[in-house]
Amino acid sequence: MALARRLVAALSLFGVPTRPRVALLLSARDDVDGRHYAVGYHLNGRQAFAIEVPQRCHAVAEHPNQPVALFVARRPGTHCYLLDLQRGRLLQTLQARPHRHFYGHAVAHRGGEWFYTTENDTREPGRGLLGIYRFDGQQLRYHSEVPTHGIGPHELAWMPDGETLVVANGGIRTEAESRADMNLDAMQASLVLMRRNGTLVSKETLSQPMNSIRHLAVGGDGTVVACQQYMGSAQDTAELLAIKRPGNAFKAFPVAPEQLRGMAHYTASVALHDRLRLVALTAPRANRLFIWGLDSGLLRLQAYVPDCAGVAAVAEGFVASSGQGRCRHYDCRGPDIKVAPLALPSAFWDNHLYSRVG
Amino acid sequence: MLRPKLLFTSLAALALGACAPQDRQAATSAALAKGVILPGYARWADADRQLAASALAFCEGREDLTQARADLLAAQQAWAALQPLLVGPLAEGNRAWSVQFWPDKKNLVGRQVEQLLASGTPIDLDSLAKASVVIQGLSAYEYILYDSQPEVANSARKARYCPLLMAVGQRQQALAAEILASWNEHGGMLMQLSEFPNERYADAHEAIADLLRAQVTALDTLKKKLGAPMGRFSNGIPQPYQAEAWRSDASLASLRASLSAANRLWRGADGQGIKALLGKNHHDLAGRVDAAYTAALGQLQGEQGLAQLLASTEGQARLNVLYDSLNIVHRLHEGELARALGIQLGFNANDGD
Repeated sequence: MALARRLVAALSLFGVPTRPRVALLLSARDDVDGRHYAVGYHLNGRQAFAIEVPQRCHAVAEHPNQPVALFVARRPGTHCYLLDLQRGRLLQTLQARPHRHFYGHAVAHRGGEWFYTTENDTREPGRGLLGIYRFDGQQLRYHSEVPTHGIGPHELAWMPDGETLVVANGGIRTEAESRADMNLDAMQASLVLMRRNGTLVSKETLSQPMNSIRHLAVGGDGTVVACQQYMGSAQDTAELLAIKRPGNAFKAFPVAPEQLRGMAHYTASVALHDRLRLVALTAPRANRLFIWGLDSGLLRLQAYVPDCAGVAAVAEGFVASSGQGRCRHYDCRGPDIKVAPLALPSAFWDNHLYSRVG
Repeated sequence: MLRPKLLFTSLAALALGACAPQDRQAATSAALAKGVILPGYARWADADRQLAASALAFCEGREDLTQARADLLAAQQAWAALQPLLVGPLAEGNRAWSVQFWPDKKNLVGRQVEQLLASGTPIDLDSLAKASVVIQGLSAYEYILYDSQPEVANSARKARYCPLLMAVGQRQQALAAEILASWNEHGGMLMQLSEFPNERYADAHEAIADLLRAQVTALDTLKKKLGAPMGRFSNGIPQPYQAEAWRSDASLASLRASLSAANRLWRGADGQGIKALLGKNHHDLAGRVDAAYTAALGQLQGEQGLAQLLASTEGQARLNVLYDSLNIVHRLHEGELARALGIQLGFNANDGD
């Protein structure tokens, strides 16, 4: 990367025009015929790659210092696709081991040698596992697994030390090849902090047992935000956004009941903007993107986005994708947030979006 | 309510350029908003204004129970006609629940009305707005006029129920007036369905998609409103009390109002509806959708109410034919019509990941 930057600088010196560095968005996406793709698009609409893959993907784990990313199949998928982002090439299809399936999320360790996935032990349905894979020679190889100290783990993320993982154990038991819940009367969702060797650091819960903790974002200061999917009665009010500030207990983020009611118990993804101190949340059933001040708790935006899916922080604010409509860019630097539709293909974006520079 | 501001920047939109299909969709969206949807909201606001006046007149003894019930029926019909047009503020934040509470499997409406009255809490517009949505709307109004025992026209009963009846009338009037005003205000739904891009819709296609989704959702709900009392979800055993508006036996009248409104969205005022967006190559599909509406609306001609039809085998057979004809309308919209218009109806919203 450093070499590439120097090269670009040198070329510029000699008056050779170089392409400005435009953020690259990574996501899983379908087409109108239901085929599945791992896609990369530049923020200006230029397609970097769109690789057709057999299983529908969900989240993406980026390698920390190589142009490589792992696209993970949604539950109960059995594939992960390792991609070369520069050449737009499939490097490897990682197959889940027997009696295991992926839950849709993964992360790569900052050293670049290890990838971690959330997995289900289908012989003991719901028992959450952290699959540990070594990255070597542009390939992933299974190394070992440790428990996530909970049921039905979903998203996982690094704490700022790069060694501690935060895991959203959704609490819902599901079987192999199934998305059907088995234990709504006895759900056990938890937010777990654990070392990457499996040692439990802490385990916290929310007040409502039927509130499934599913998606996470972590700020540079160690603030963790989690968004939920509530499995209880339609008339209940559920804590769909929660926060764990450094050194504090995990608790509900102050969202107005009026907004919570509109979300229909379902949130898809959450993102933090470290510099602007903002938290963004997508609520597909509400067709809404929400943005709050992370410290003030004040609502900055609730905007209509049909089937609002993924959200990622970019330099000026956030980019949100949609399962049914156009992707949008939100410039959050001023007192009033500015929205602009993006020249990206419309609809069929899955629930997670990642932005990387260049 | 303090509404955070969202500014729309059109730089990116300009770069995308306008093309002919977008223009046609923009024109259709604008025509539907002006010629079909906004008039639907205006009729609803009118009916609720009349409802509030009617509650007052009935409680002051200037109006009899028959007239009070007729005014309720008009409000129910105006609300039913809004179902396929539920885009924008009324479709959001569960506001619809405070107009009508359905399904009500546990008779929450009746129980909560009685609980509130038994508690002795003074009832007025303000206290009702803070109460459960279950008793704020037409379902509670219907309970009072039809189900409170004995007869509500009796003066002692009237004294008991009238504060709530009047408060519900006022609440509905206020809610409808507020929603109608928000449609008409600068930057409101009327404008957002007419001028693109705007802070809600990135282009006209998104607006048409929003309208079709509202229509498909309403058609699907109509099947549930009919299927539940027919016993389609309970081993074929009729469940008359699961019907919408069963107390006033207005279920089929409501269904007809909803379906007629869906048909208006399809055909448009002056032919500028969803149908006009189908190209010549979809001539056959357009004909089948027309025929499906005609058939289903034809099944709804007749004087019998749902309760009477459910009570006989012959009536149940007629309801089955009606259900099947509704199903055809729904499936055509959800499947072929959505595909022909390039509209994605559901992708992430229902997938639970």
